[in-house]
Amino acid sequence: MDVQTRKEIQAVVVTLTGRLDAVTAAEYARRMNDLTREGETTFVVDLGGLDYISSAGLRELLVTAKLLKGTGGKIRLANVTGMVKDVFDISGFASIFQIDDSVGEALARIG
Amino acid sequence: MKATIMVVDDEVDLEPLIRQKFRKQIRDGIYEFVFAHNGLEALTKLIEQPDIRLILSDINMPEMDGLALLTELKALRNPSLKTVIVSAYGDMDNIRTAMNRGAFDFLTKPISFDDLEITITKTLDEIALIRQSLREHDQLISIQRELEAAREIQQAILPKTFPPFPDRPEMSIFGSMIAAREVGGDFFDFFMIDNKRLGFVIGDVSGKGVTAAIFMAVSRTLIRATGMKGISTADCMNYANRLLCSESVSGMFVTVFYGILTTTTGVVEYVSAGHNPPYIVSGSGVRKVELTGGTILGCLDDFVFESKTLQLMPGDLFFLYTDGVTEAFNARDELFEETRLERYLESQRSRPTEAVVEGCFQEVAAFATGKAQSDDITILAIRYNGVPYVS
Repeated sequence: MDVQTRKEIQAVVVTLTGRLDAVTAAEYARRMNDLTREGETTFVVDLGGLDYISSAGLRELLVTAKLLKGTGGKIRLANVTGMVKDVFDISGFASIFQIDDSVGEALARIG
Repeated sequence: MKATIMVVDDEVDLEPLIRQKFRKQIRDGIYEFVFAHNGLEALTKLIEQPDIRLILSDINMPEMDGLALLTELKALRNPSLKTVIVSAYGDMDNIRTAMNRGAFDFLTKPISFDDLEITITKTLDEIALIRQSLREHDQLISIQRELEAAREIQQAILPKTFPPFPDRPEMSIFGSMIAAREVGGDFFDFFMIDNKRLGFVIGDVSGKGVTAAIFMAVSRTLIRATGMKGISTADCMNYANRLLCSESVSGMFVTVFYGILTTTTGVVEYVSAGHNPPYIVSGSGVRKVELTGGTILGCLDDFVFESKTLQLMPGDLFFLYTDGVTEAFNARDELFEETRLERYLESQRSRPTEAVVEGCFQEVAAFATGKAQSDDITILAIRYNGVPYVS
């Protein structure tokens, strides 16, 4: 998995590419922790490049979001499609996260 | 801590000399000295005082010499008991023999007490390290034993008597869980709510290992206790979810599918809390059970679950599983996936439930040959046989 981050005015955009599973979830968590420690509180996570997400990956998305909410931060997901969308539908994660069709839309709504 | 050192030498003058040279350490309780005058006496002392850590032994002694003593000590197989040989300068043949028989080090006579002290300290340090690693090894063994006990407890709370209801011809049930580690986070359960309603559950706790196993035990017990009240599957999930939300630590959650089969009609009322949809294998083929829009338990405490109903025909097979089946990897890092599972199920409509479950485990195992099992695998199969004709 690849984790790219870029800072926009409204939020940090985190782009995940590849597989988010038990092995790579730790890397995602580490990067999010680093950003939070640097004082970032608002995130848009772009899942468009993910071709696989396991239950461990879902768990890490959830843990990160919970930690963020605990400190008054915000998170929106963008581009939940394909296999990732199927997993979100089955697990009901669509009820838990705020999801937008594009990063632009997420950035517009997160303010 | 006090270290007990045994000095083995037939020279009687040595004892007062040692006591004099190390008087400070003896007074301060750092060292305690025990004296023996030949190998046999040394072995006797060793039995009397099992706390002896270090032996300083001469080679030439009556009765049993230092080399014979080393052979006996080797037989004790005690890695934290070390012997330092003391021999005449130039007695290299004997010293080599002593080293080959397991002596830790050697000193030459006449003894330099500075060198002796350095050698004692160094050897005791080494012994301390060995003892610590032995202790850690023992702790590891004891943790492994505890995990084994936890595994037994966990397996004990999963149903394991099949058929579970031998006097109920309306359904046949078989289920099994194979944990990826000693203990797992998956579970399945079933229970008669009343004379004509069978509750059945499958669940998958996020994560693995001991924390998942504890959360699994809590979830299973909570759902069973709540389900036995006979309330709707949705109400049962609402209640269990609220309680698990107040218990949930560091983002633990559980996906659950809970159904109630009315054995007189074949109607199943069910709710899915973020769990993979089960399959129905019927005369017309294999189909997925429709989702109910539920989400995982232990996350949103105000979430409202809704249930659905479906109709089973006599002979239909209800197949529930956890994602350890579809997310098993093979050596080429490919997933087992739903397509393989569906293909397998197509041929299973008339097979006994036990054969369906065991056969599926075998399919997954054959697929994942050469890859370590990364997730718990659980399957629960229920066949609705219909109401028997009573004349």
